[in-house]
Amino acid sequence: MMFWREWDIRLLSGNLCCANHEKELNMGDVEKGKRIFIQKCSQCHTVEKGGKHKTGPNLHGIFGRKTGQASGFTYTEANKNKGIIWGEDTLMEYLKNPKKYIPGTKMFFVGIKKKGEKEDLIAYLKKSANE
Amino acid sequence: MSSWSRQRPQSPGGIQPRLSRALFLLLLLAASAWGVTLSPKDCQVFHSDNGTSISCQPPAEIPRHLPADTVYLAVEFFNLTHLPAGILQGASKLRELHLSTNGLGGLPRELLQPVPQLRVLDLTRNALTSLLPGLFQASAALDTLVLKENQLEVLEASWLHGLKALGHLDLSGNRLRKLPPGLLANFTLLRTLDLGENQLETLPPDLLRGPLQLERLHLEGNRLQVLEKDLLVPQPDLRYLFLNCNKLARVAAGAFQGLRQLDMLDLSNNSLASMPEGLWASLGQSNRDLREGFDISNNPWICDRNLSDLLRWLKAQKDKMFSQGDTRCAGPEAVKGQPLLAVAELVQ
Repeated sequence: MMFWREWDIRLLSGNLCCANHEKELNMGDVEKGKRIFIQKCSQCHTVEKGGKHKTGPNLHGIFGRKTGQASGFTYTEANKNKGIIWGEDTLMEYLKNPKKYIPGTKMFFVGIKKKGEKEDLIAYLKKSANE
Repeated sequence: MSSWSRQRPQSPGGIQPRLSRALFLLLLLAASAWGVTLSPKDCQVFHSDNGTSISCQPPAEIPRHLPADTVYLAVEFFNLTHLPAGILQGASKLRELHLSTNGLGGLPRELLQPVPQLRVLDLTRNALTSLLPGLFQASAALDTLVLKENQLEVLEASWLHGLKALGHLDLSGNRLRKLPPGLLANFTLLRTLDLGENQLETLPPDLLRGPLQLERLHLEGNRLQVLEKDLLVPQPDLRYLFLNCNKLARVAAGAFQGLRQLDMLDLSNNSLASMPEGLWASLGQSNRDLREGFDISNNPWICDRNLSDLLRWLKAQKDKMFSQGDTRCAGPEAVKGQPLLAVAELVQ
């Protein structure tokens, strides 16, 4: 005996969870970006407002800000002097190879190879680092 | 003496060479004091109250000797097969050593003896196949060791002797198929262990015995087929567990039993069709639990009676669920392709 009644299955083919499902799909990049952040970044960084500095600085407010500006974090001179503004383009470049982009950085992370993953991560950073 | 950044050529002639060299060294010292890079052939040098930071990438020349107050040294993106002998001599205050993206095939046993205060050693993207026991004899202060993306096929516990204070061990991206027993036995302070992207098929049951409070365990991207019951028992306060992208077909009953405050669990991209009953009972109960989320997507779930335990749990926890749209039934035929959450709505 099936553990769900047959007529219930027919309900499934009508879009029972349509609203939730669609919303979730639109947020896909940000959601994937959050997963990537947790797996690859949260070891050393927080992103929420007021989040603490860890091995790396809290990333809140990073979009539109010059490198090395999160208050209370001891950056390397190299990072402070890089002098670019963090945005989608600069972050894409940086995440390809952080040590090439900022020689002298403390960050021991080689970067993210897949373009899609970088895009997802930046979408998440853009959203949560600005909330 | 700043012989480490000597330029060439020397000027020809009699008394002139000495004078011009003295003037030149004065200029060098002055420029260094301002943290100015003289030319692309020089490493970047920064001075602060803490000490000197030196960062070298091609085409700069690798220093042969370091200032006594060097606290940070990066020599990266060179095609080195080995480091210049004695490069760390005299740099007893060194705290961070970044040697990523070279071609280092081996490290001399005495390399780190001159730098007992070293906190961070980054050896990402080299060609290491082994380490000499004794390499870390003087490294009781080392907190972070990154051996990511080397060519380690085996690992001997003896290679890591001496790392009493190790907090972060990254062995990801190697070719490890097996781990020795007792690997972490003396790593009481270990917080993060990254074994992702290797070729591990099994894990020694005592793998996690040793650390007093492991927080993060990365096992993603391996070939694990089973999550055994006893693996996680020594680490009840584990917070992040990544098991995605393995070949897990079975999670043993009680595997998550002791976990008190798991923040993130990733089981996505495996071969899970069902889960033992009661497995999920302890997870997600308190508000704190799984507060970063969980992911069980891209598994061939069979959405029959045996899955009702999981489905009921999903209904209650769906706010924390990643990749809902990719978490679907592979069977039975009647519900093939349906999201688990949709089927969960129908569970009595």
